Amino acid sequence: MKNLQNLSEDQITADLLPQKFGRRGKIWTAGLIVICCIGAFAYIKQLREGLVVTNMGDYASWGIYISNFVFFVAVSLVGSLITAIFRLSGVPWRTPLTRIAEIIAVSNITFAALIIIVDMGRPERLYFLFTHGRLQSPIMWDVIVITTYFFLSLLLLYITLIPDVKLMISLKDKLGKPFSKLYKWMASFWQGTEAQEKIRNKSITILCVTIVPVAFCIHTVTSWLFATTYRPGWDSTNFGAYFVSGAFLVGAGAVGIAMFVYRRVYKLENYITDDHFDKMGKITVMLALLYLYFNVNEFLVPAFKMKEEEKAYLNGLFTGDYSIMFWFAIMVGMIIPTLVLINKKGRKPLPMFIAGVMIVVGAWFKRYLIVTPTMLHPLLPKYNSPLRFNHYFPSWEEWAITIGSMAGVLLIITFFTRVFPIISIYKTLEDKHAITNKNETTEQYESNLQVS
Amino acid sequence: MKQLNNMKVIYKYLKLVISLVLLLGISIDTIQAQDSVASKTQLIISYFLPANKVPYLEVTTRKKIGRKFEAVKNIPVDIYFNEADPNNLLGKVITDTIGKGRIGLPPSFKNTWDSLNEFKFLAQSELPAGQDALSADITIKKAILSVDTTSVDGTRMVTAELKEKNGNDWVPVKDIDMKLAVKRMDANLSVGDKDFYTSDSTGVSSAEFKKDSIPGDKKGMITLVAEVDDNDTYGNLVTEKAVNWGKAIAPQKDFFAQRTLWAIRSETPIWLLFTVWGIAIGIWGTIIYLVIQILKIRKLGVSGPIKEDL
Repeated sequence: MKNLQNLSEDQITADLLPQKFGRRGKIWTAGLIVICCIGAFAYIKQLREGLVVTNMGDYASWGIYISNFVFFVAVSLVGSLITAIFRLSGVPWRTPLTRIAEIIAVSNITFAALIIIVDMGRPERLYFLFTHGRLQSPIMWDVIVITTYFFLSLLLLYITLIPDVKLMISLKDKLGKPFSKLYKWMASFWQGTEAQEKIRNKSITILCVTIVPVAFCIHTVTSWLFATTYRPGWDSTNFGAYFVSGAFLVGAGAVGIAMFVYRRVYKLENYITDDHFDKMGKITVMLALLYLYFNVNEFLVPAFKMKEEEKAYLNGLFTGDYSIMFWFAIMVGMIIPTLVLINKKGRKPLPMFIAGVMIVVGAWFKRYLIVTPTMLHPLLPKYNSPLRFNHYFPSWEEWAITIGSMAGVLLIITFFTRVFPIISIYKTLEDKHAITNKNETTEQYESNLQVS
Repeated sequence: MKQLNNMKVIYKYLKLVISLVLLLGISIDTIQAQDSVASKTQLIISYFLPANKVPYLEVTTRKKIGRKFEAVKNIPVDIYFNEADPNNLLGKVITDTIGKGRIGLPPSFKNTWDSLNEFKFLAQSELPAGQDALSADITIKKAILSVDTTSVDGTRMVTAELKEKNGNDWVPVKDIDMKLAVKRMDANLSVGDKDFYTSDSTGVSSAEFKKDSIPGDKKGMITLVAEVDDNDTYGNLVTEKAVNWGKAIAPQKDFFAQRTLWAIRSETPIWLLFTVWGIAIGIWGTIIYLVIQILKIRKLGVSGPIKEDL
């Protein structure tokens, strides 16, 4: 943060303004578009031929789509952690991370909603969910809460963007025309008057207070989709906390990756400093240990009892068909990142990036393990079913759609970065003023401004 | 010597045991052989006059396998009045999975029905080549059964009267066994202690109603049934009468029509409606408030003083 003292306002503005894609950026974007197109092709095939193109069956009726949905919902929770919780608790170093977290939240929640429509098979069924949906069903609660969280995240992103967009309108000559109409539509009214500032700050505070319980709801309700069903592995009172803690961990991991990539690609070393990695690393360790604690609760207690109806499921995870994936998710998704990040050297940018990748990959497989093994171990006996129903491995269409949706998430983040500053210029300038003028925190600076 | 005598006794008993075992084995074999033999298919025709409905004829096809009857399905049967003539054909049926087929007497049969007092119905089935044709007939007299209630010294009585058509008159029929019962969901429950009540010289049979506390509908209505069952002369006759002798029971609300978590959407529990809508309105109210705040910022920007520096 102290680096800001040595930077001029012009330098900060120039560093943080959105930049045109370079060669690497174009290749990256084109690659994502190609992957999305393959996913779209597979989805069109699924629309034409039906869910028969998937390898889901009578038992594994929820497959990779639902795993992916849970994963996206989990990652989206980071918006509330970094923006809302950090703001409400007055974390002074949050500025370079908030917008990264917000766009990760918006992009992931968008695709979480879309992937559910993919899983429905026929998209018009979404309409039937509203006309025929039962309020008693957690699926209905999930639809309500996801829609709510999406709008709240979008509002938070927009309100915090307004001053930056106004700044970009004034820098039209430098930025060129491509998005000037969009900028004008978004923020031409912003003059930064005291009255406007007051309303904006108040709105952000209200949003932050609102978004925290909604964020907890979104993943708790998602966990209830499973926990309200009497099945081995899902029949747990621990599920809400287990899901929320896991979501915060994967979100923190995703932010760690994004911090490293943005810092490196856009040369933001003065803004996303080693100190940010250090602090974010400590938070990630705490979240990993918390998630590990809930995992111990989730698996050790049932394993101790080894109830007859859960035996096959638990043995499948610990030593059976899913054991490699299970131990991979535990080790790579929680234990190794903890061991890496617990050391000060491990909280440097590159190790933090590697730990972030491990957490995110481990988290994806963890969601797969939450869904599939349970589906394949129903409590009711299996009768007269084809042998293939006893196993599940996604078809190429499922993989294509899933990977396409992940590419879609990255594409939203990429386009956003092209159009808007990924670190708030306005807030960074405020931070600079706070440091240079008073050597105080931003919060103290803001309160001083209000007093004056 | 004594040992020799003992040996003889043992030998004698051993012979007896061996003989019994052999006899038992042969008997079991014989029974098993009988059990595995299937008899020819049988065709039966019956006449029914249900309460307030059109009389109908029912055919049954069955086969004795071992010591029990089993239904024979998919047998086509033609049913005639009087004789197997195409002009007398009343209808065709194919027996179902329980070996039964049924036809109501057609409207075209009304004049014949009104003009006669005794009827012969014939059922015939042409089976595939190599199998004997099936045939059965029944002759019934036209009869009418009625049920009523009386009260003698405060005692409730159920009476049923059976009359047959004789010439142009209806005359009472005596010595016919009939059931006097209360209609329940699965079967009929006798109103008194006996299963059957026999008609007297006036054609009337009566029984004391002893099911005072039997549950009725919400007004206490129950249905009394009089039934002549599989009679050689009159067939099967049933008649009913609704009376308010039952205990009034408020009908239970349909299990799935209650406000529960497993009910349909219109039966959502009130607490859940309040909770979900309360939260949704609270949060969406906040979202709407925030949108209004943005509009306010926009309005201030349009009308307020212009600030040069950000």
